[in-house]
Amino acid sequence: MKWLNFRISTLLLLTCPSFVSLKADDSLYQERVVKYHSFWNKLVPRHYKLQFAGSMGLLSFGPGWEYGKHHQWETDVYIGFLPKHSTSENKLTLTLKQNYIPWTNKPLGKHFAIDPLTVSLYVNSILGDEFWTKEPSKYPGGYYGFSTRVRFNLSMGQRFIYFIPNERRKYSKSMTFFYELGTSDLYVASAFNNRYLKLKDIIHLSLGLKVQVF
Amino acid sequence: MIGTRKLLPFLLLFFTSCSAFDYSPYDGLVKGEVGVNNKNSALIERNCSKRDTIRFAVISDTQRWYDDTQDFVRILNKRNDIDFVLHGGDISDFGVTKEFLWQRDILNELKVPYVVLLGNHDCLGGGKEVFTKVFGNPNFSFKAGHTKFICLNTNALEYDYSNPIPDFNFIDNQLDSLASPDDKTIFAMHARPYSDQFNNNVAKIFQKDICRFPNLQFCLSAHDHQIEADDLFGDGVMYYASANIAKRSYLVFTLYKKGYKYEVVEF
Repeated sequence: MKWLNFRISTLLLLTCPSFVSLKADDSLYQERVVKYHSFWNKLVPRHYKLQFAGSMGLLSFGPGWEYGKHHQWETDVYIGFLPKHSTSENKLTLTLKQNYIPWTNKPLGKHFAIDPLTVSLYVNSILGDEFWTKEPSKYPGGYYGFSTRVRFNLSMGQRFIYFIPNERRKYSKSMTFFYELGTSDLYVASAFNNRYLKLKDIIHLSLGLKVQVF
Repeated sequence: MIGTRKLLPFLLLFFTSCSAFDYSPYDGLVKGEVGVNNKNSALIERNCSKRDTIRFAVISDTQRWYDDTQDFVRILNKRNDIDFVLHGGDISDFGVTKEFLWQRDILNELKVPYVVLLGNHDCLGGGKEVFTKVFGNPNFSFKAGHTKFICLNTNALEYDYSNPIPDFNFIDNQLDSLASPDDKTIFAMHARPYSDQFNNNVAKIFQKDICRFPNLQFCLSAHDHQIEADDLFGDGVMYYASANIAKRSYLVFTLYKKGYKYEVVEF
């Protein structure tokens, strides 16, 4: 009996903690799965945009995210199409765009709202054989001193939002039309230090649509 | 709705204040005149035909110096003794499409015809195709009076071996089409032999090749952003280079029946 008692108590001693810890592991695991889900959930694009012009292609399309207390920050990723025109090939472009909207969704009637100002900074890259990020090694160091592939752009604009009534929502809760006036780094460099180029020569218009999924 | 009405004038002002849409600085979207060199070469040939004395101005490297280029145009337009203007290349700095158009529009104000050579900066980011569209083939020639101007693309560093730079076949064909042994020849290029752009492996062969041409007067180049006058190969063939336009000077050459005169004009 003594021996048996010993066996049972040892077994209990051995199994109980492991049982407890197993249970703890399980809940931690569940917790981790929840965290994992919520992390990737945050990365689910909240909206999609289609933009015409804007020094990032003829037409660009891509997902985006908004964040901040009043959703005043936005990050967009675009893939754009640039027709060849006089050059030798059609090109794709990639764009990473950061937007700041100081006043969001100012009401304009029952179903409409306006973002009176948007400010955007975006970096664009042209994918093509004739474009380089770093000067090819055939050139003496700092020969041209700039990258033909990477462009920095700045723009300002406004947005008009239409909130789709609850009963009519299918895939999105609102649609936004926006326009922007912007310029690109090489245009600024061109206009710098001369009178010939005016602001109107380097500022360009672009138009876009935003579909807010949730 | 009052809000919308108030916004409308601002919107209209915004939309009209910019030159519409831009797809990319490198969109290759050419608006306005194209084939400038072809048209102007024909004008030069017509204006100078059968004349013994020809006077032409040379500028180059006007990239991003819009005001200086415009000043040059104004000053040259006051003269009545120039037959044409030769631009030695680097009309753009970044190879950006609009650079070619802005400079073309400035040079189009010239009262006399002009031609533009391809510079190394013009080759960047698909610029060589835009150049070809706006101005024409980077290798071209025209005749002013009795003198044949052979304009060459010598920016070898911007190409690989699939494109012969300088193109000896093109040069050869120019020799074949020469009509009379009395004719004279001038070669023009952006980068001269032994510069960082030239295919220096063939520098001597190039020189030997162009020396075959009847009455080779001299060669013109640009690229170095300074005025130069050198007998590069010690064979008596002079290479004259114009400075960048920001240095505010241009060259004037007067070709006589025999010999020529060369001067630097500052403005």
